[in-house]
Amino acid sequence: MIDTIREIETPEGIALRLRAAGALPRAQAWMIDLVVRGVGLVIAMIPLSLLGVAGNGVAMLLMFGMTWAYAVVCEACFSGQTVGKRALGLRVVHADGTPVGWLPSVVRNLLRGVDILPGVYGVGLASTLLDPHARRLGDIVAGTMVIHANELPPGQQVPDVPALPLPLVLAADEQAALVEFAERAGQLGTQRQEELAGLLRPLTDGDGPAAVRQLMAHANWLLGRP
Amino acid sequence: MKQERFVALHGGEWDRLQAWLDALERQPKRMLRDESSLDFPASYRRLCHHLALARGRGYSHEVTERLQRIVQQGHRLLYRAPPPRWQRMAAFLTGGFPRLVRAQWRCMLAAAVLFYLPALVMLVLIQWRPELAHSVFDSQQLADFEKMYDPANQHIGRSSGTDMQMFGYYVMNNVGIAFRSFASGLLFGVGAVYVLGANGVLIGGVAGHLTAIGYGGPFWRFVAAHSAFELTALVIAGGAGLKLGLTLLAPGRQRRGPALVAAGWIGAQLALGAFAMLLVAAFLEAYWSSNASLPDAVKFGSAALLWLLVLGWLGFAGRGRRHGA
Repeated sequence: MIDTIREIETPEGIALRLRAAGALPRAQAWMIDLVVRGVGLVIAMIPLSLLGVAGNGVAMLLMFGMTWAYAVVCEACFSGQTVGKRALGLRVVHADGTPVGWLPSVVRNLLRGVDILPGVYGVGLASTLLDPHARRLGDIVAGTMVIHANELPPGQQVPDVPALPLPLVLAADEQAALVEFAERAGQLGTQRQEELAGLLRPLTDGDGPAAVRQLMAHANWLLGRP
Repeated sequence: MKQERFVALHGGEWDRLQAWLDALERQPKRMLRDESSLDFPASYRRLCHHLALARGRGYSHEVTERLQRIVQQGHRLLYRAPPPRWQRMAAFLTGGFPRLVRAQWRCMLAAAVLFYLPALVMLVLIQWRPELAHSVFDSQQLADFEKMYDPANQHIGRSSGTDMQMFGYYVMNNVGIAFRSFASGLLFGVGAVYVLGANGVLIGGVAGHLTAIGYGGPFWRFVAAHSAFELTALVIAGGAGLKLGLTLLAPGRQRRGPALVAAGWIGAQLALGAFAMLLVAAFLEAYWSSNASLPDAVKFGSAALLWLLVLGWLGFAGRGRRHGA
Protein backbone atom coordinates (compact mmCIF):
# COMPACT_ATOMS: atom_id res chain seq x y z
CA MET A 1 0.00 0.00 0.00
CA ILE A 2 2.84 2.38 0.80
CA ASP A 3 4.63 1.73 -2.47
CA THR A 4 3.24 3.98 -5.19
CA ILE A 5 4.84 2.01 -8.00
CA ARG A 6 2.48 0.22 -10.30
CA GLU A 7 3.89 -2.54 -12.46
CA ILE A 8 2.26 -3.03 -15.82
CA GLU A 9 2.96 -5.82 -18.22
CA THR A 10 3.34 -4.57 -21.77
CA PRO A 11 2.44 -6.66 -24.83
CA GLU A 12 6.15 -7.41 -25.17
CA GLY A 13 6.08 -9.17 -21.80
CA ILE A 14 8.07 -6.46 -20.03
CA ALA A 15 7.09 -5.09 -16.63
CA LEU A 16 6.88 -1.30 -16.85
CA ARG A 17 7.14 0.49 -13.53
CA LEU A 18 4.96 3.60 -13.27
CA ARG A 19 5.27 5.93 -10.31
CA ALA A 20 1.86 7.32 -9.31
CA ALA A 21 1.81 11.04 -8.52
CA GLY A 22 0.22 12.12 -5.25
CA ALA A 23 -2.06 15.01 -4.41
CA LEU A 24 0.61 17.65 -3.75
CA PRO A 25 2.42 17.80 -7.12
CA ARG A 26 -0.95 17.56 -8.86
CA ALA A 27 -2.32 20.46 -6.85
CA GLN A 28 0.76 22.47 -7.79
CA ALA A 29 0.30 21.59 -11.46
CA TRP A 30 -3.34 22.63 -11.20
CA MET A 31 -2.32 25.98 -9.71
CA ILE A 32 0.10 26.60 -12.57
CA ASP A 33 -2.63 25.72 -15.06
CA LEU A 34 -4.98 28.11 -13.29
CA VAL A 35 -2.46 30.92 -13.64
CA VAL A 36 -1.75 30.03 -17.30
CA ARG A 37 -5.45 30.05 -18.12
CA GLY A 38 -6.03 33.29 -16.26
CA VAL A 39 -3.12 35.05 -17.94
CA GLY A 40 -4.13 33.69 -21.37
CA LEU A 41 -7.64 34.99 -20.85
CA VAL A 42 -6.45 38.43 -19.77
CA ILE A 43 -4.08 38.71 -22.75
CA ALA A 44 -6.85 37.68 -25.14
CA MET A 45 -9.20 40.22 -23.55
CA ILE A 46 -7.06 43.16 -24.64
CA PRO A 47 -7.70 42.93 -28.41
CA LEU A 48 -11.23 41.63 -27.76
CA SER A 49 -12.14 44.69 -25.76
CA LEU A 50 -11.62 46.75 -28.91
CA LEU A 51 -14.39 44.78 -30.62
CA GLY A 52 -17.00 46.04 -28.19
CA VAL A 53 -20.01 43.95 -27.28
CA ALA A 54 -19.34 41.25 -29.91
CA GLY A 55 -15.89 40.81 -28.38
CA ASN A 56 -17.73 40.08 -25.17
CA GLY A 57 -19.29 37.04 -26.82
CA VAL A 58 -15.94 35.81 -28.11
CA ALA A 59 -14.50 36.33 -24.65
CA MET A 60 -17.23 34.17 -23.18
CA LEU A 61 -16.54 31.45 -25.75
CA LEU A 62 -12.89 31.68 -24.77
CA MET A 63 -13.75 31.44 -21.11
CA PHE A 64 -15.82 28.37 -21.90
CA GLY A 65 -12.86 26.85 -23.72
CA MET A 66 -10.50 27.62 -20.85
CA THR A 67 -12.89 26.08 -18.35
CA TRP A 68 -13.86 22.89 -20.13
CA ALA A 69 -11.65 22.28 -23.16
CA TYR A 70 -8.17 23.43 -22.06
CA ALA A 71 -7.22 20.33 -20.11
CA VAL A 72 -8.75 17.90 -22.62
CA VAL A 73 -7.02 19.44 -25.63
CA CYS A 74 -3.67 19.70 -23.84
CA GLU A 75 -3.79 16.15 -22.51
CA ALA A 76 -4.88 14.62 -25.79
CA CYS A 77 -2.49 16.59 -28.01
CA PHE A 78 0.66 16.69 -25.85
CA SER A 79 0.60 13.04 -24.70
CA GLY A 80 -1.05 13.62 -21.37
CA GLN A 81 0.53 16.87 -20.25
CA THR A 82 -1.02 20.26 -19.62
CA VAL A 83 1.32 23.18 -19.11
CA GLY A 84 1.26 22.73 -15.35
CA LYS A 85 1.77 18.97 -15.54
CA ARG A 86 4.72 19.48 -17.87
CA ALA A 87 6.25 21.95 -15.46
CA LEU A 88 5.88 19.48 -12.57
CA GLY A 89 6.93 16.49 -14.67
CA LEU A 90 3.56 14.73 -14.48
CA ARG A 91 1.73 12.83 -17.16
CA VAL A 92 -1.77 11.36 -17.53
CA VAL A 93 -1.74 7.78 -18.80
CA HIS A 94 -4.24 4.98 -19.23
CA ALA A 95 -4.17 2.16 -16.73
CA ASP A 96 -1.94 0.26 -19.19
CA GLY A 97 0.64 3.03 -19.35
CA THR A 98 -0.24 4.36 -22.80
CA PRO A 99 -0.80 8.12 -23.30
CA VAL A 100 -4.34 9.23 -22.53
CA GLY A 101 -6.79 9.40 -25.47
CA TRP A 102 -9.56 11.89 -26.21
CA LEU A 103 -12.52 10.15 -24.60
CA PRO A 104 -10.87 9.17 -21.30
CA SER A 105 -9.50 12.69 -21.08
CA VAL A 106 -13.03 14.06 -21.57
CA VAL A 107 -14.33 11.77 -18.82
CA ARG A 108 -11.68 12.68 -16.27
CA ASN A 109 -11.97 16.39 -16.93
CA LEU A 110 -15.79 16.48 -16.89
CA LEU A 111 -15.80 14.58 -13.61
CA ARG A 112 -13.42 17.16 -12.19
CA GLY A 113 -16.70 18.90 -11.35
CA VAL A 114 -17.36 16.20 -8.73
CA ASP A 115 -13.81 15.96 -7.41
CA ILE A 116 -13.67 19.69 -6.83
CA LEU A 117 -16.94 19.68 -4.92
CA PRO A 118 -16.84 20.49 -1.22
CA GLY A 119 -14.59 23.52 -1.05
CA VAL A 120 -11.45 23.00 -3.12
CA TYR A 121 -10.98 19.40 -4.26
CA GLY A 122 -12.40 17.82 -1.09
CA VAL A 123 -13.64 14.66 -2.79
CA GLY A 124 -10.59 14.52 -5.03
CA LEU A 125 -8.18 14.78 -2.08
CA ALA A 126 -9.97 12.05 -0.14
CA SER A 127 -9.99 9.86 -3.21
CA THR A 128 -6.28 10.34 -3.97
CA LEU A 129 -5.43 9.51 -0.35
CA LEU A 130 -7.57 6.36 -0.30
CA ASP A 131 -6.73 4.97 -3.72
CA PRO A 132 -3.53 2.89 -3.92
CA HIS A 133 -2.62 4.60 -7.19
CA ALA A 134 -3.62 8.09 -5.99
CA ARG A 135 -6.42 8.46 -8.48
CA ARG A 136 -9.24 10.94 -8.03
CA LEU A 137 -12.80 9.89 -8.89
CA GLY A 138 -12.48 11.19 -12.43
CA ASP A 139 -9.39 9.08 -12.96
CA ILE A 140 -11.09 5.98 -11.59
CA VAL A 141 -14.07 6.33 -13.92
CA ALA A 142 -11.91 7.26 -16.91
CA GLY A 143 -9.49 4.40 -16.24
CA THR A 144 -6.50 6.74 -16.13
CA MET A 145 -3.83 7.68 -13.62
CA VAL A 146 -1.34 10.52 -13.19
CA ILE A 147 2.29 9.44 -13.02
CA HIS A 148 5.66 11.07 -12.58
CA ALA A 149 6.97 11.37 -16.13
CA ASN A 150 10.50 12.43 -15.24
CA GLU A 151 12.83 9.52 -14.73
CA LEU A 152 14.66 9.16 -11.47
CA PRO A 153 18.27 10.34 -11.68
CA PRO A 154 20.36 7.44 -12.98
CA GLY A 155 22.03 5.35 -10.32
CA GLN A 156 25.73 5.55 -9.65
CA GLN A 157 28.08 3.44 -11.68
CA VAL A 158 30.32 0.79 -10.22
CA PRO A 159 33.73 2.44 -9.78
CA ASP A 160 36.34 1.11 -12.16
CA VAL A 161 39.01 -0.88 -10.31
CA PRO A 162 40.98 -3.92 -11.47
CA ALA A 163 38.80 -7.03 -11.26
CA LEU A 164 39.34 -9.72 -8.69
CA PRO A 165 37.72 -13.19 -9.07
CA LEU A 166 35.47 -14.28 -6.20
CA PRO A 167 37.12 -16.91 -3.97
CA LEU A 168 33.82 -18.80 -3.55
CA VAL A 169 30.62 -19.34 -5.51
CA LEU A 170 27.81 -16.91 -4.69
CA ALA A 171 24.10 -17.36 -5.47
CA ALA A 172 22.50 -15.04 -8.03
CA ASP A 173 20.82 -12.80 -5.44
CA GLU A 174 24.03 -12.57 -3.43
CA GLN A 175 25.89 -11.49 -6.57
CA ALA A 176 23.18 -8.90 -7.24
CA ALA A 177 23.49 -7.59 -3.68
CA LEU A 178 27.24 -7.25 -4.08
CA VAL A 179 26.95 -5.34 -7.36
CA GLU A 180 24.24 -3.15 -5.90
CA PHE A 181 26.46 -2.33 -2.94
CA ALA A 182 29.22 -1.28 -5.33
CA GLU A 183 26.77 0.84 -7.31
CA ARG A 184 25.35 2.63 -4.31
CA ALA A 185 28.53 2.97 -2.30
CA GLY A 186 28.97 6.50 -3.64
CA GLN A 187 25.78 7.56 -1.86
CA LEU A 188 26.92 6.18 1.51
CA GLY A 189 29.35 7.64 4.01
CA THR A 190 32.77 6.03 4.29
CA GLN A 191 32.04 4.62 7.74
CA ARG A 192 28.76 3.11 6.62
CA GLN A 193 30.51 1.54 3.61
CA GLU A 194 33.12 -0.02 5.88
CA GLU A 195 30.46 -1.20 8.32
CA LEU A 196 28.54 -2.95 5.54
CA ALA A 197 31.67 -4.44 4.02
CA GLY A 198 32.70 -5.71 7.46
CA LEU A 199 29.56 -7.88 7.57
CA LEU A 200 31.04 -10.10 4.88
CA ARG A 201 33.95 -11.15 7.06
CA PRO A 202 34.57 -14.67 5.65
CA LEU A 203 34.57 -13.23 2.12
CA THR A 204 36.74 -10.18 2.75
CA ASP A 205 40.26 -10.63 4.07
CA GLY A 206 40.99 -7.31 5.70
CA ASP A 207 38.64 -4.81 7.28
CA GLY A 208 37.91 -1.11 6.86
CA PRO A 209 38.89 0.52 3.54
CA ALA A 210 40.59 -2.66 2.31
CA ALA A 211 37.35 -4.67 2.58
CA VAL A 212 35.44 -2.01 0.61
CA ARG A 213 38.12 -2.00 -2.08
CA GLN A 214 38.01 -5.78 -2.29
CA LEU A 215 34.22 -5.79 -2.71
CA MET A 216 34.54 -3.19 -5.50
CA ALA A 217 37.05 -5.42 -7.25
CA HIS A 218 34.72 -8.42 -6.93
CA ALA A 219 31.84 -6.35 -8.32
CA ASN A 220 34.00 -5.42 -11.31
CA TRP A 221 34.76 -9.07 -11.86
CA LEU A 222 31.04 -9.94 -11.70
CA LEU A 223 30.28 -7.29 -14.32
CA GLY A 224 32.89 -8.83 -16.58
CA ARG A 225 35.37 -5.96 -16.54
CA PRO A 226 39.07 -6.76 -17.01
CA MET B 1 27.24 -13.56 -20.66
CA LYS B 2 28.82 -10.95 -18.42
CA GLN B 3 27.22 -7.55 -18.26
CA GLU B 4 30.13 -5.64 -19.82
CA ARG B 5 30.10 -7.86 -22.91
CA PHE B 6 26.30 -7.55 -23.22
CA VAL B 7 26.54 -3.76 -23.14
CA ALA B 8 29.42 -3.77 -25.61
CA LEU B 9 27.39 -5.92 -28.00
CA HIS B 10 24.11 -3.97 -27.90
CA GLY B 11 24.93 -0.56 -26.40
CA GLY B 12 25.25 1.04 -29.83
CA GLU B 13 21.76 -0.01 -30.82
CA TRP B 14 20.31 1.32 -27.56
CA ASP B 15 22.00 4.65 -28.07
CA ARG B 16 20.68 4.90 -31.63
CA LEU B 17 17.12 4.19 -30.51
CA GLN B 18 17.44 6.65 -27.62
CA ALA B 19 18.73 9.35 -29.97
CA TRP B 20 15.92 8.70 -32.44
CA LEU B 21 13.28 8.89 -29.68
CA ASP B 22 14.75 12.12 -28.35
CA ALA B 23 14.78 13.65 -31.82
CA LEU B 24 11.18 12.55 -32.27
CA GLU B 25 10.08 14.42 -29.17
CA ARG B 26 11.60 17.59 -30.60
CA GLN B 27 10.19 17.37 -34.15
CA PRO B 28 7.58 14.59 -34.36
CA LYS B 29 6.29 15.18 -37.90
CA ARG B 30 9.66 15.18 -39.64
CA MET B 31 11.08 12.20 -37.83
CA LEU B 32 8.01 10.05 -38.49
CA ARG B 33 8.18 10.77 -42.21
CA ASP B 34 11.83 9.81 -42.19
CA GLU B 35 12.70 6.31 -43.37
CA SER B 36 14.43 5.46 -40.11
CA SER B 37 11.00 5.30 -38.45
CA LEU B 38 10.30 2.03 -40.27
CA ASP B 39 12.86 0.29 -38.06
CA PHE B 40 11.32 1.54 -34.85
CA PRO B 41 8.87 -1.28 -33.99
CA ALA B 42 11.44 -3.99 -34.64
CA SER B 43 14.27 -2.30 -32.75
CA TYR B 44 11.91 -1.39 -29.91
CA ARG B 45 10.91 -5.04 -29.51
CA ARG B 46 14.55 -6.13 -29.63
CA LEU B 47 15.21 -3.67 -26.84
CA CYS B 48 12.35 -5.13 -24.80
CA HIS B 49 13.95 -8.52 -25.30
CA HIS B 50 17.25 -7.13 -24.05
CA LEU B 51 15.54 -5.68 -20.97
CA ALA B 52 13.97 -9.06 -20.22
CA LEU B 53 17.36 -10.72 -20.61
CA ALA B 54 19.07 -8.11 -18.43
CA ARG B 55 16.52 -8.59 -15.67
CA GLY B 56 16.60 -12.37 -15.97
CA ARG B 57 20.39 -12.46 -15.75
CA GLY B 58 20.41 -10.09 -12.81
CA TYR B 59 22.42 -7.32 -14.47
CA SER B 60 22.95 -4.22 -12.41
CA HIS B 61 20.59 -1.25 -12.22
CA GLU B 62 22.88 0.73 -14.44
CA VAL B 63 21.79 -1.40 -17.39
CA THR B 64 18.20 -2.27 -16.44
CA GLU B 65 17.29 1.31 -15.62
CA ARG B 66 18.84 2.61 -18.81
CA LEU B 67 16.81 0.08 -20.82
CA GLN B 68 13.65 0.68 -18.82
CA ARG B 69 13.86 4.39 -19.61
CA ILE B 70 14.05 3.76 -23.35
CA VAL B 71 11.27 1.16 -23.16
CA GLN B 72 8.97 3.64 -21.44
CA GLN B 73 9.61 6.23 -24.11
CA GLY B 74 9.03 3.70 -26.87
CA HIS B 75 5.92 2.27 -25.24
CA ARG B 76 4.44 5.75 -25.17
CA LEU B 77 5.10 6.18 -28.87
CA LEU B 78 4.07 2.75 -30.10
CA TYR B 79 0.81 2.53 -28.17
CA ARG B 80 -0.37 6.13 -28.34
CA ALA B 81 -3.98 6.91 -29.25
CA PRO B 82 -4.68 7.45 -32.95
CA PRO B 83 -5.21 11.08 -33.95
CA PRO B 84 -8.88 12.15 -34.17
CA ARG B 85 -10.44 12.07 -37.62
CA TRP B 86 -13.25 14.30 -38.88
CA GLN B 87 -14.76 11.31 -40.62
CA ARG B 88 -15.27 9.50 -37.35
CA MET B 89 -16.78 12.57 -35.77
CA ALA B 90 -19.30 12.82 -38.61
CA ALA B 91 -20.08 9.11 -38.35
CA PHE B 92 -20.60 9.55 -34.62
CA LEU B 93 -23.08 12.40 -35.05
CA THR B 94 -25.04 10.76 -37.86
CA GLY B 95 -25.11 7.24 -36.45
CA GLY B 96 -23.21 6.44 -33.29
CA PHE B 97 -24.72 9.08 -31.06
CA PRO B 98 -28.41 8.37 -31.86
CA ARG B 99 -27.71 4.66 -31.46
CA LEU B 100 -26.15 5.30 -28.08
CA VAL B 101 -29.13 7.40 -26.98
CA ARG B 102 -31.52 4.64 -28.04
CA ALA B 103 -29.42 2.00 -26.30
CA GLN B 104 -29.72 3.97 -23.05
CA TRP B 105 -33.44 4.66 -23.51
CA ARG B 106 -34.35 3.77 -19.93
CA CYS B 107 -32.08 6.41 -18.47
CA MET B 108 -33.16 8.91 -21.12
CA LEU B 109 -36.83 8.27 -20.33
CA ALA B 110 -36.19 8.69 -16.61
CA ALA B 111 -34.31 11.92 -17.24
CA ALA B 112 -37.09 13.22 -19.50
CA VAL B 113 -39.71 12.49 -16.81
CA LEU B 114 -37.53 14.10 -14.11
CA PHE B 115 -37.23 17.23 -16.22
CA TYR B 116 -40.56 17.63 -18.02
CA LEU B 117 -42.83 16.57 -15.15
CA PRO B 118 -41.78 19.39 -12.75
CA ALA B 119 -41.82 21.81 -15.68
CA LEU B 120 -45.37 20.88 -16.65
CA VAL B 121 -46.59 20.89 -13.06
CA MET B 122 -45.13 24.37 -12.52
CA LEU B 123 -46.56 25.62 -15.78
CA VAL B 124 -50.08 24.45 -14.91
CA LEU B 125 -49.91 25.43 -11.24
CA ILE B 126 -48.93 29.00 -12.04
CA GLN B 127 -51.87 29.37 -14.43
CA TRP B 128 -54.10 28.35 -11.56
CA ARG B 129 -52.40 30.39 -8.82
CA PRO B 130 -50.11 33.04 -10.39
CA GLU B 131 -48.67 34.16 -7.04
CA LEU B 132 -46.73 30.86 -6.88
CA ALA B 133 -44.21 32.41 -9.27
CA HIS B 134 -43.05 34.61 -6.41
CA SER B 135 -42.09 31.59 -4.33
CA VAL B 136 -39.70 30.39 -7.04
CA PHE B 137 -38.21 33.71 -8.22
CA ASP B 138 -37.67 36.99 -6.43
CA SER B 139 -39.27 40.10 -7.80
CA GLN B 140 -36.06 41.39 -9.43
CA GLN B 141 -35.75 38.19 -11.48
CA LEU B 142 -39.42 38.38 -12.46
CA ALA B 143 -38.97 41.97 -13.57
CA ASP B 144 -35.99 40.91 -15.71
CA PHE B 145 -38.01 38.14 -17.37
CA GLU B 146 -40.84 40.54 -18.06
CA LYS B 147 -38.44 43.02 -19.61
CA MET B 148 -36.87 40.30 -21.81
CA TYR B 149 -40.19 39.07 -23.19
CA ASP B 150 -42.04 42.38 -23.37
CA PRO B 151 -44.09 42.24 -26.60
CA ALA B 152 -42.77 45.73 -27.40
CA ASN B 153 -39.17 44.47 -27.37
CA GLN B 154 -37.44 44.29 -30.80
CA HIS B 155 -35.07 41.50 -29.79
CA ILE B 156 -37.08 39.06 -27.73
CA GLY B 157 -35.48 36.92 -25.11
CA ARG B 158 -32.89 39.44 -23.95
CA SER B 159 -32.77 42.89 -22.49
CA SER B 160 -29.54 43.96 -24.22
CA GLY B 161 -26.54 42.57 -26.09
CA THR B 162 -25.77 41.58 -29.66
CA ASP B 163 -26.23 38.18 -31.29
CA MET B 164 -22.55 37.28 -30.91
CA GLN B 165 -22.49 38.18 -27.25
CA MET B 166 -25.57 36.13 -26.54
CA PHE B 167 -24.13 33.19 -28.50
CA GLY B 168 -21.09 33.16 -26.26
CA TYR B 169 -23.25 33.49 -23.19
CA TYR B 170 -25.58 30.66 -24.19
CA VAL B 171 -22.69 28.32 -24.96
CA MET B 172 -20.98 29.00 -21.65
CA ASN B 173 -24.14 28.79 -19.58
CA ASN B 174 -26.01 25.90 -21.18
CA VAL B 175 -23.05 23.62 -21.86
CA GLY B 176 -21.87 24.24 -18.31
CA ILE B 177 -25.25 23.10 -16.97
CA ALA B 178 -25.28 20.03 -19.20
CA PHE B 179 -21.72 18.99 -18.27
CA ARG B 180 -22.41 19.53 -14.59
CA SER B 181 -25.59 17.46 -14.72
CA PHE B 182 -23.56 14.62 -16.26
CA ALA B 183 -20.69 14.88 -13.78
CA SER B 184 -22.91 15.24 -10.71
CA GLY B 185 -24.54 11.95 -11.65
CA LEU B 186 -21.51 10.30 -10.08
CA LEU B 187 -22.90 11.30 -6.66
CA PHE B 188 -25.17 8.23 -6.73
CA GLY B 189 -27.33 9.97 -9.35
CA VAL B 190 -28.55 12.55 -6.82
CA GLY B 191 -26.79 15.42 -8.58
CA ALA B 192 -28.29 14.61 -11.96
CA VAL B 193 -31.77 14.27 -10.44
CA TYR B 194 -31.35 17.61 -8.72
CA VAL B 195 -30.05 19.47 -11.78
CA LEU B 196 -32.79 18.04 -14.00
CA GLY B 197 -35.56 18.74 -11.48
CA ALA B 198 -34.34 22.21 -10.58
CA ASN B 199 -34.05 23.23 -14.23
CA GLY B 200 -37.51 21.78 -14.88
CA VAL B 201 -38.98 23.89 -12.08
CA LEU B 202 -37.15 27.03 -13.24
CA ILE B 203 -38.06 26.70 -16.89
CA GLY B 204 -41.65 25.69 -16.08
CA GLY B 205 -41.85 28.61 -13.68
CA VAL B 206 -40.68 31.17 -16.23
CA ALA B 207 -42.97 29.78 -18.91
CA GLY B 208 -45.92 29.69 -16.53
CA HIS B 209 -45.38 33.19 -15.21
CA LEU B 210 -44.98 34.80 -18.63
CA THR B 211 -48.01 32.95 -19.99
CA ALA B 212 -50.06 33.95 -16.98
CA ILE B 213 -49.30 37.66 -17.34
CA GLY B 214 -50.04 37.61 -21.05
CA TYR B 215 -46.47 37.70 -22.40
CA GLY B 216 -46.85 34.12 -23.60
CA GLY B 217 -46.77 35.09 -27.28
CA PRO B 218 -43.21 36.41 -27.45
CA PHE B 219 -41.98 33.77 -25.01
CA TRP B 220 -43.23 30.76 -26.92
CA ARG B 221 -42.16 32.33 -30.22
CA PHE B 222 -38.70 32.72 -28.74
CA VAL B 223 -38.19 29.31 -27.19
CA ALA B 224 -40.08 27.04 -29.60
CA ALA B 225 -37.28 26.56 -32.13
CA HIS B 226 -34.08 26.21 -30.12
CA SER B 227 -35.70 24.28 -27.27
CA ALA B 228 -35.77 21.25 -29.57
CA PHE B 229 -31.99 21.03 -29.32
CA GLU B 230 -31.49 22.65 -25.94
CA LEU B 231 -33.96 20.73 -23.77
CA THR B 232 -33.25 17.43 -25.50
CA ALA B 233 -29.52 17.89 -24.97
CA LEU B 234 -30.10 18.70 -21.30
CA VAL B 235 -32.18 15.54 -20.91
CA ILE B 236 -29.49 13.45 -22.65
CA ALA B 237 -26.70 14.85 -20.47
CA GLY B 238 -28.82 14.28 -17.36
CA GLY B 239 -29.61 10.76 -18.54
CA ALA B 240 -25.89 10.09 -18.95
CA GLY B 241 -25.42 11.29 -15.36
CA LEU B 242 -28.22 9.01 -14.16
CA LYS B 243 -26.56 6.11 -15.92
CA LEU B 244 -23.32 6.86 -14.10
CA GLY B 245 -25.07 7.03 -10.74
CA LEU B 246 -27.08 3.87 -11.37
CA THR B 247 -23.92 2.02 -12.35
CA LEU B 248 -22.34 3.06 -9.07
CA LEU B 249 -25.40 1.86 -7.12
CA ALA B 250 -26.11 -1.32 -9.09
CA PRO B 251 -23.22 -2.35 -11.32
CA GLY B 252 -24.99 -5.55 -12.34
CA ARG B 253 -22.89 -8.59 -13.18
CA GLN B 254 -19.61 -6.73 -13.12
CA ARG B 255 -17.29 -5.34 -10.52
CA ARG B 256 -17.85 -1.66 -9.78
CA GLY B 257 -14.55 -0.48 -11.24
CA PRO B 258 -14.88 -1.89 -14.77
CA ALA B 259 -18.62 -1.14 -14.80
CA LEU B 260 -17.91 2.51 -13.96
CA VAL B 261 -15.24 2.77 -16.64
CA ALA B 262 -17.71 1.42 -19.21
CA ALA B 263 -20.42 3.82 -18.02
CA GLY B 264 -17.96 6.72 -18.10
CA TRP B 265 -17.04 5.84 -21.68
CA ILE B 266 -20.72 5.88 -22.71
CA GLY B 267 -21.42 8.99 -20.65
CA ALA B 268 -18.57 10.96 -22.20
CA GLN B 269 -19.85 10.17 -25.69
CA LEU B 270 -23.35 11.23 -24.70
CA ALA B 271 -21.99 14.42 -23.15
CA LEU B 272 -20.03 15.21 -26.31
CA GLY B 273 -23.15 14.67 -28.43
CA ALA B 274 -25.12 16.90 -26.08
CA PHE B 275 -22.36 19.48 -26.43
CA ALA B 276 -22.74 19.46 -30.23
CA MET B 277 -26.52 19.82 -29.86
CA LEU B 278 -26.11 22.73 -27.46
CA LEU B 279 -23.82 24.51 -29.92
CA VAL B 280 -26.60 24.27 -32.52
CA ALA B 281 -29.13 25.40 -29.90
CA ALA B 282 -27.02 28.40 -28.92
CA PHE B 283 -26.60 29.39 -32.55
CA LEU B 284 -30.36 29.17 -33.17
CA GLU B 285 -31.13 30.97 -29.94
CA ALA B 286 -28.80 33.85 -30.72
CA TYR B 287 -29.47 34.34 -34.42
CA TRP B 288 -32.91 32.91 -35.19
CA SER B 289 -35.06 32.83 -32.06
CA SER B 290 -34.35 36.43 -31.14
CA ASN B 291 -35.65 37.76 -34.43
CA ALA B 292 -39.04 39.27 -33.57
CA SER B 293 -40.02 40.40 -37.06
CA LEU B 294 -40.80 36.95 -38.49
CA PRO B 295 -44.50 35.97 -38.66
CA ASP B 296 -45.90 33.36 -36.32
CA ALA B 297 -46.36 30.80 -39.08
CA VAL B 298 -42.63 30.84 -39.90
CA LYS B 299 -41.61 30.76 -36.25
CA PHE B 300 -43.83 27.90 -35.17
CA GLY B 301 -43.51 26.06 -38.48
CA SER B 302 -39.72 26.03 -38.24
CA ALA B 303 -39.96 25.04 -34.59
CA ALA B 304 -42.17 22.06 -35.43
CA LEU B 305 -39.74 21.06 -38.17
CA LEU B 306 -36.78 21.27 -35.79
CA TRP B 307 -38.53 19.16 -33.14
CA LEU B 308 -39.38 16.57 -35.79
CA LEU B 309 -35.80 16.69 -37.03
CA VAL B 310 -34.31 16.15 -33.56
CA LEU B 311 -36.69 13.38 -32.57
CA GLY B 312 -36.37 11.71 -35.97
CA TRP B 313 -32.60 11.95 -35.82
CA LEU B 314 -32.42 10.43 -32.36
CA GLY B 315 -35.07 7.84 -33.17
CA PHE B 316 -34.01 6.65 -36.59
CA ALA B 317 -30.49 7.78 -37.55
CA GLY B 318 -27.94 4.98 -37.75
CA ARG B 319 -30.51 2.21 -37.95
CA GLY B 320 -30.10 -0.71 -40.32
CA ARG B 321 -26.66 0.19 -41.59
CA ARG B 322 -23.81 -2.18 -40.95
CA HIS B 323 -21.39 -0.61 -38.54
CA GLY B 324 -18.38 -1.53 -36.52
CA ALA B 325 -18.73 -1.97 -32.80
